[in-house]
Amino acid sequence: MSEILKVKGLVKRYKELIAIDHLDLSVKEGEIFGLLGPNGSGKSTTINCILSLLEYDKGEIEIFGKTMSPKAYELKKQIGIVPQDVAVYESLTVYENIDFFCGLYIKDKETRKKYVQEAIDFVALNDFVKFKPGKLSGGLKRRLNIACGIAHKPKLIFFDEPTVAVDPQSRNKILEGIEELRKNGATIIYTSHYMEEVEQLCDRILIIDKGHTIAEGTVEELKGMIKKSEIITIEVAGLDNKALDMVRESNNVYSVSYENNQLKVEAGSGKHNVIDIVNLLQDKGYKMKKIFSEQPTLNDVFLELTGKQLRDE
Amino acid sequence: MFKYSIIKMFRSIGGLFWMFIFPLVLMTAMHFAFDSIYSYQNSIDPMRTILITEGQGVYQEGFEDLIESLSEEGSEDQLFILEEADSLEEAKAKLAVEEAEIIFVVSDGDVEVYLQENHSITSAAVAGSIADTYKQRYQLIADAWEQDPAFAMELVNDARENVTYTVSEEDAFGAEPNPYNWYFLSTLVMGILFMAMMGINMVGDLRADVSAVAMRYSVSPARKGQMVVTAFAARVIPGLVIVAIQLMVMKYVFGIYLGNDYLKLGLFVVSAVMFSISFGVICGLCFKGDVHQRGNKATSLIMISVFLSGEMISQLPGLFERYFPIFNKINPATVLNMALFKLTIGNSAEGFFMNIAEIIGLTVVFLAIGIAVLRREKYASV
Repeated sequence: MSEILKVKGLVKRYKELIAIDHLDLSVKEGEIFGLLGPNGSGKSTTINCILSLLEYDKGEIEIFGKTMSPKAYELKKQIGIVPQDVAVYESLTVYENIDFFCGLYIKDKETRKKYVQEAIDFVALNDFVKFKPGKLSGGLKRRLNIACGIAHKPKLIFFDEPTVAVDPQSRNKILEGIEELRKNGATIIYTSHYMEEVEQLCDRILIIDKGHTIAEGTVEELKGMIKKSEIITIEVAGLDNKALDMVRESNNVYSVSYENNQLKVEAGSGKHNVIDIVNLLQDKGYKMKKIFSEQPTLNDVFLELTGKQLRDE
Repeated sequence: MFKYSIIKMFRSIGGLFWMFIFPLVLMTAMHFAFDSIYSYQNSIDPMRTILITEGQGVYQEGFEDLIESLSEEGSEDQLFILEEADSLEEAKAKLAVEEAEIIFVVSDGDVEVYLQENHSITSAAVAGSIADTYKQRYQLIADAWEQDPAFAMELVNDARENVTYTVSEEDAFGAEPNPYNWYFLSTLVMGILFMAMMGINMVGDLRADVSAVAMRYSVSPARKGQMVVTAFAARVIPGLVIVAIQLMVMKYVFGIYLGNDYLKLGLFVVSAVMFSISFGVICGLCFKGDVHQRGNKATSLIMISVFLSGEMISQLPGLFERYFPIFNKINPATVLNMALFKLTIGNSAEGFFMNIAEIIGLTVVFLAIGIAVLRREKYASV
């Protein structure tokens, strides 16, 4: 797969504040690339620099193998943006909004008409074409926001937190839509601070914080970067210190806690962690009621790499 | 883009209110509040009046001239029918038998008024007003003469120009610079000045650091210079349509005299609309906050500018002219008002063109700055 977007050594300063600090990233054709980080981590600033909306202090940005600049009009034709805020005109209808923004890219009226209709079909706003945005729910507005960004069929689409303040049903529809865009050949750059979405959607993820790259890779690769790979919770009564010490000494276990009859074990990568601990307790005659095993999340990855929670809401 | 920009303008309720509806509502209110005053003044029947002069002097002569001018038969300004009487006693006798309604007795430095026992409120008001005004004016000129003869002469000339105490409806609405006409014209100017909101809106459309919508423009392959020109043209056209409708309402519904030179009026309208939009662009670029915050700040500025140009108190520009003339030159509402006023009273073509030149000059400067800044493709912060 060819490289669609390449960012090398990007630096953006706001006076003394360094918003982006020597950021590198590379996105391949057909990928859904996630940019994950807490609010204020520099995700939107990175996108704005890539799109030449912001002047940056240092670095190189190439899209489709060519240097991106404010006057790179040929490159801009192939780019779509779905901004974080719903960017539509309140005085225009759904159809007029999509037609208007599509018109910035597609001059031929017939082609535009077809594209606008396809965008409406894509976001399922057929019943609302004559509605003004003020009459739409938050989820429908978000869908309109997406339609305005993708109607001209761009090859590279930036989604900047498109699911903020959206109900779960609309969120799922948006995520399904993004997946479909990829199937249709688009490359997606998706920013979010919702780790579940990024985990579900993205092929590769770049985690950033305070403008720094924290980690990059697939979900599995990222999870593999941390010591903790499994959290085992067992409901068991009357565990004594001797039993707890035995659990602590088991293979891969690096953290054990016991409160209110809940034994919580954090273990590193191992295929039989749960079985090993259950067998150990059974041998000692303990009766267990409930057993849970959870995989680490991206939040755990972020927590372990930075020492703080990813979600700051 | 052009089509939708025009649609957006006409669907913008807030913008239409300030530019179109609010001025028309104000004009309607003024029409109903003040039109009847002129109708009433013109409905006064001439009153039989006797003028008794005691002694000879400038004071008496001036008053005789005044009463005679207001007694000219057939004149639209006629308030009195002069009756003869050889003495005050004979005049009083005529008053008693209702052969006269008013007696003016003018002596050196004073004017006395006698009325019928069953006099009307109108005759009392008119006679009292004329006598008092004359006395005050004369005293003012006499005082001024002692201090500054040149200024006294100015007052004499002013007094001559304002010797007409009531005016015909046509004059009131047209050639005579009176508050009634001034309020209509300055209300029209206020509506035009509110077109600055379209300029602010234009900044919101085109600057990605002001609105999210503008981000879409900046990311698109559309050329910024072309977008700026299109956006400006798409705002000038609705502006011209709105002013044209307001002018027609003023002329044909409210009967406001707009002068006879429609070419000059057209020149004023085009330059004023372009000035206001470009003024809005500058406000939009200078103020901080989102589009609404910038719009609110501009609304406040326009309201202050309009107030100081005499929208509520027509004497304000005169006061500024006397004590702080530069203010009238930099207040956009006053500059527009003066151009329109000079055009409609029709006595100063040179003055009109001076104002228009100022308006066009400022428009060019504002547009040059606006285009230069709006054409920039990237921003220090978003």
